[in-house]
Amino acid sequence: MFVTAFLFLSYGASPWQAYFTLFHEPFGTLRGFGYALVRTSPLSLIALGTIVSWRSGFAYLGFEGCFVLGASATSWLALLTAPGARVGPVPFFIFLPLAILFGFAAGGVWAGLVGLVRARLGGNEVLISLMSNYVAIFILQYLVSGPMRAPGSLPETRLLPRTTWLPFILPGTRAHAGILIAIAAAGLVWMLLQKMPLGYEMIVTGFNAAAARYAGMDVARRILLAAFFAGGLGGLAGTVEVLGSQHRLMDGISGGVGFVGIVVALLARLNPVAVIPTALLYGGMSVGADAMQRRANIPSSITFILQSLAVLLVLAFDALRYYKINFPGFSPRTPPPVADEVSK
Amino acid sequence: MKHTLEMKNIVKRFPGVLANNNVNFTVQAGEIHALLGENGAGKSTLMQILYGFHAMDSGEILIDGERVHLGSPKDAIALGIGMVHQEFMLVRRFSVVENTVLGLRERGALLDLPRASEKLKDLSNRHGLALDPAAEVGSLPIGVQQRVEILKLLYRDARLLILDEPTAVLTPQEKDQLFAVLRKLREDGRSVVLVTHKLNEIMEIADRVTVMRDGQVVATRTIGSTSGQELTRLMVGREVNLRADKSNQKPGAPVLQIENLRVQDETGHEKVRGLSLEVHAGEILGIAGVDGNGQSELAGAILHLREIQSGRVLLNGADVTRLSVAQHRSAGISYVPADRRHVGSVTEMSVADNAILGLQRKYTRGLFRGIREARESALGLVARFGIRTTGIDFAAGKLSGGNLQKLILGREIMRGSAALVVEHPTRGLDVGAVEAVWGELLRARQEGKAILLISAELEELLNLADRIAVMFEGRIMGVVDAAGASVEEIGFMMAGITPGSAPPAAGPAQEARHHENL
Repeated sequence: MFVTAFLFLSYGASPWQAYFTLFHEPFGTLRGFGYALVRTSPLSLIALGTIVSWRSGFAYLGFEGCFVLGASATSWLALLTAPGARVGPVPFFIFLPLAILFGFAAGGVWAGLVGLVRARLGGNEVLISLMSNYVAIFILQYLVSGPMRAPGSLPETRLLPRTTWLPFILPGTRAHAGILIAIAAAGLVWMLLQKMPLGYEMIVTGFNAAAARYAGMDVARRILLAAFFAGGLGGLAGTVEVLGSQHRLMDGISGGVGFVGIVVALLARLNPVAVIPTALLYGGMSVGADAMQRRANIPSSITFILQSLAVLLVLAFDALRYYKINFPGFSPRTPPPVADEVSK
Repeated sequence: MKHTLEMKNIVKRFPGVLANNNVNFTVQAGEIHALLGENGAGKSTLMQILYGFHAMDSGEILIDGERVHLGSPKDAIALGIGMVHQEFMLVRRFSVVENTVLGLRERGALLDLPRASEKLKDLSNRHGLALDPAAEVGSLPIGVQQRVEILKLLYRDARLLILDEPTAVLTPQEKDQLFAVLRKLREDGRSVVLVTHKLNEIMEIADRVTVMRDGQVVATRTIGSTSGQELTRLMVGREVNLRADKSNQKPGAPVLQIENLRVQDETGHEKVRGLSLEVHAGEILGIAGVDGNGQSELAGAILHLREIQSGRVLLNGADVTRLSVAQHRSAGISYVPADRRHVGSVTEMSVADNAILGLQRKYTRGLFRGIREARESALGLVARFGIRTTGIDFAAGKLSGGNLQKLILGREIMRGSAALVVEHPTRGLDVGAVEAVWGELLRARQEGKAILLISAELEELLNLADRIAVMFEGRIMGVVDAAGASVEEIGFMMAGITPGSAPPAAGPAQEARHHENL
């Protein structure tokens, strides 16, 4: 924070003023808070996906791809229910579970493919998942400029029918029910990892695959399942974004949220309970950054620097915890008794 | 010739632990000095300071009365200090001579292998270390690889050789050869520091012994003026009776039967070659053998952790060969793997979570984990097996080796399986923990479990097992009754010499059997 304060100064702005705007906008105004919630929902879902996969030892990085495919599948489903389309209007309480299922399945199968490569062929999931993002984004570009393109100049679909939109939950803001889905998902992920034998097996697999195999767990299947859940959550993020916020599918809809979500998960130290607050802080800061840019004329990229510094500090603290400063020659005269275990 | 090493008031602190507390240690020229202590007593730390791996916090090191600085192993080598690590530091694909000159730059950028070979041959003849300089290291037996390590040091003209647990991987015969080499080095005026916790070896070869406990030197004795009992007491801090009292009992029906098993390792080499065994209820069948002769592949295959090429595994008469690991476990085979930190437990997770490893589907309530029941069973395990831990939420990786082993062994015993496969249960454990693990294994035997005990420690097998099968290159060389077995006979079989073709001294196994104590 102090470091960034100097960056503010270099733009001739008061750091206090800048920080005030950065946090006042998202957490001090109703409108800004609504926007913060809008950004929080997909971030949390992707962070939850990251937690499921990473704690199972599957270093998945393909959430951008899951996100756009989840968004695409949901949009396709929503457009089918437009008046005059093949299916026609469907009551929302039937549409929503279907949309969630579609988004989840689209992302899940996509990530599951990467899981399959890793589990059966031993490929490197970091590389493959990263590359799979590009494939998914090209699929999206094809869809919005080809079969699903709306008449007009922009590569995007028609506006989705109003009956398929997620309800707004705070009057006077853009906040939608996606945040409720995210909170429910956080609860489910917590339950899976902490309370269910399947989650226990996934965590054991993540820590130590040899021990998992020894204990009779099917490691390949656990990894596959983790990939499916993780991708599903990523796809769900796309569902929420397209039904709650964008209301249409377009090129560039993800805007890097698939990577920021991973960062949120790391900041939350892969703890599902901490995900929602962390994502809210992160989403809020990006809303504040936009406001800051408008008012104080400071580039919003400064906030990005602040966020990156926060991640680095969190990660660095992990390393620093294991070091203590030692002053040679200052060892006490009467040393404490030796502990049971000495590294041999 | 006077060449002495003195380490004075060495203090070394690791985070949270005082590994060396004012240690004084002296080695004279031409002596074999044993450094004895339990795991964690600080002997490895002391030697690593001497070899320049760790910087000491305070203290001084003198060679011939002159103060020296050891900032890195390079300094140590320059001062004539060499170390043979427990894990050999050899490039397996290189020849002996290539390994020897590795890191040396005798002639700048030029590599003169023929000249180095000559020097090496000369050295090996002088010290009685028969060795072919052109042989590929990976193809040599472990005992010979160890010779390469020693030759490497002699090539650099080391005056002081540190050997860390050198006999852990050797057959009894290889051990004798090593000791002969060490005696030659002593005659040559060189000094040897032998880091070990095997008392009988110290009594056999060392001139003096320094005993460490809890980071401090407890005593230094000349071998003539001490006894194994005194050393044990000094090392452990109390009287220990390391003789297992095995009750007499008649083994029951065969529980675990292995028929003509063939198993390959990861690289496709056949490691178990048509092996058949039978373990009865209430019996401990020991598997002796030098590491790497297929023992761990055998254990893995019994549980189907490894692919089985052919053969059958029967449990109480039922074929379980092709069942999954989980099915093996629920059918009634428990397994204590050799690597307790990387296979037998998840070190990052708590003691409670480790106590249900492999049982996670048993402790359930509907869809959810039965966390309270699991915790209760963990508490029971801690109490029943005397596991020293600050609590069951403590990370299992922070337990000492002995306590972690008790946790794993306890978990596998309490499953109530009919058969128990145990691999190297006391490797690296100190005397107190060995005592406890032995006791538990014998208790399980009394309860009528069929136990397959794989171990490289003959003493352990002779104490615990009812019968000992010796494994060599994937086959059983012979099975002997532990009660009448001789170390020599087992040793020959470990080296691949069948009882019939053994030299006359050993005699055919069935007729004349040596009765010899360790």
